[in-house]
Amino acid sequence: MNMGTAHQNNDRLLRESLQQVGYLADADLATTVWLAGELERPLLLEGDAGVGKTALATALAQAKDAVLVRLQCFEGLDLAQAAYEWNYGRQLMAIRLHDCQPGSVKEADVFSRDFLLERPLLKAISQDGPCVLLIDEIDRADEAFEAFLLEVLADYQITVPEIGTLRARNIPRVILTSNGTRELSDALRRRCLYHYLDYPTLAREIAIVKTALPEADTRLVEEAVQFVQRLRNEDLSKIPGIAETLDWVKALHRMHHHALPEDMAVLLTTLGCLLKTREDRFGLGADRARQLVEGRRTVGVAEKAPANAAPS
Amino acid sequence: MNHTPALAPSETLAGFAALLRDHGLAVGVAEQRAMLQAALIVGGLQEQRLRAAWRAIACHSAREWRLWPELFDRYWHPERLRGTVRVSGQTRPGRDLRQAVQQMREQMDTAQQPPTTGKTAPQTATDAPHAVAGDSEAGTPRAQGGASRSEPQMEALHQRDGQMWLPQELGALQRLARQITARLRPLPTRRWKNAHPGQRLDLRQTLRRSVAWGGEPLAPAWQIKRVVPPRLFILADVSRSMESHAALFLRIARAFALEAQARVFVFHTRLAEVTPLMQRDSAAVQEKINAVTAGFGAGTRIASSLGEFARVHARAQLRRGARVWVLSDGFDTDESENLAIALQALRAHGARITWFHPTREVPAAAALQGARRHIDRFIPLASVADLAAVRHALH
Repeated sequence: MNMGTAHQNNDRLLRESLQQVGYLADADLATTVWLAGELERPLLLEGDAGVGKTALATALAQAKDAVLVRLQCFEGLDLAQAAYEWNYGRQLMAIRLHDCQPGSVKEADVFSRDFLLERPLLKAISQDGPCVLLIDEIDRADEAFEAFLLEVLADYQITVPEIGTLRARNIPRVILTSNGTRELSDALRRRCLYHYLDYPTLAREIAIVKTALPEADTRLVEEAVQFVQRLRNEDLSKIPGIAETLDWVKALHRMHHHALPEDMAVLLTTLGCLLKTREDRFGLGADRARQLVEGRRTVGVAEKAPANAAPS
Repeated sequence: MNHTPALAPSETLAGFAALLRDHGLAVGVAEQRAMLQAALIVGGLQEQRLRAAWRAIACHSAREWRLWPELFDRYWHPERLRGTVRVSGQTRPGRDLRQAVQQMREQMDTAQQPPTTGKTAPQTATDAPHAVAGDSEAGTPRAQGGASRSEPQMEALHQRDGQMWLPQELGALQRLARQITARLRPLPTRRWKNAHPGQRLDLRQTLRRSVAWGGEPLAPAWQIKRVVPPRLFILADVSRSMESHAALFLRIARAFALEAQARVFVFHTRLAEVTPLMQRDSAAVQEKINAVTAGFGAGTRIASSLGEFARVHARAQLRRGARVWVLSDGFDTDESENLAIALQALRAHGARITWFHPTREVPAAAALQGARRHIDRFIPLASVADLAAVRHALH
């Protein structure tokens, strides 16, 4: 029980410190992030684009006053770009400089830590202070790279054949994000704690927007967020995320609106902030937008449940 | 969670882990140890937090993530679920819809096996001779009615069988589609691309890189042949005669649309592309597809649909190596010789045509018989098992 109370404090502290840097995490997410730190396990975050996966890592680094090391994954990412590379130029220079004194340079001298270029993974492992390692969009990297990551994530070490195994001095907090464009391997999944980030609930999204844009009118924020929440239930090819909501509210605020504009034509001109494909934009006409504003959720003949009743 | 006080926590946890494993979650010894560890850190009385912590440990994918609240409640709070549920995780029949469907299907499978061995598509297989007579529109519903009169219960179950899919079956279909996609032979191109262990030296790039080291080629650049995956087109027949198979066909088509970026068309008297619908994953889309297929159901104009497909929709993409999969029983209301002409035009583009038919044997329809030589391969397809059986032949 004693430990339980201690945990609660830590857990709440983490949530509060995240809130202070502008990231509103729900209780479950805070617990998971905290647990990942306690168990020294990486955390795999999945969810649609724009739900705040990457933002969590930056916020965590800020809250913990840690160095953020970011590895952006892409197709064809290899060891040289992700972990380390030998500084050939420097090695050559060292050899040439000592050319006149035969025997003064041995092989071990040019293959030492000084000649190693640190790329994100090695950089994260060799940090002395606290560190957050963000491996962003891991699903874009190749499967071979995923396999290489296993060593790093399981033991927090990197093996350089010429030097040996480099162990982490300070275990970094690792956050991996994935948009689910490719299935990740089971081995990688099992090494990580998992959290699926969903779109926020109405109350949480209002809170997020208010934190990010304190100068916007409360009425505008509430109405706009409600509209976006209803919009997410529509059949869209690209569902607007939190970033889109923020953009939209910011745009409306800049246009000096204190509430959602009554005129649908004005509203529709700003919808470019939310709807990012031509198809979605054409699918949402003035009538449908008005229905969403007024909150009628009639689709065909079936009346859907009100948006507020959507699962949190 | 105090309904089993006599058991040690680890044993209770093992029971929970067994329930999770039953539902497809990969919870091994390592996970159980982590769960115990988490319980020690979090404290057993902090239920909300423990729940979140265990969820992070036990779930490894979005599907499992969504399954979690139900499984957790089922084991630790059986009283919260409606009806009485035993702790073993087995609900009474009729309580849990998915389990009820699963059970029903299992019963049906065991009951049905002996009489219908080797006949996977009973309705269409028996109907085939009637429908060849010419009026496929009038003939088929009559024949179907006959089938349902003779075995009323079977028929009802059979139709529901096609409609209700369990998530794990959809997952299995998706995996199968991925395997088949991986086996589709890619097309070699004349271009080369950079790759680390490569076949040939990229001299230009190697020289460029060697500049940094005073002309010594320390970092050679390599290249391999670039290949492109073949384009896949799936044309599913959703006419009346194919009504009972349309659901299966569309799900298969959808699996390939997601895995192989296939373009999916449906046709009855005219052709419509449904690829954008297939690539999205929401309940509303499923409703739309159901609505589209339900609306169809007159005769089938295969030849003119194929002609339109080649002329309008896929003209630019029908290149050498394109795979065209037609999912149809071959009963055509167009003139029977038109089909051969349409298929020949498709072949002229370099496409390879595979015809999937729901019957065991190649359909006896006159149009299809006349066009046989233009079709590379006939494959019976009445269930996912059929697709799994031919997965090595599709390349």
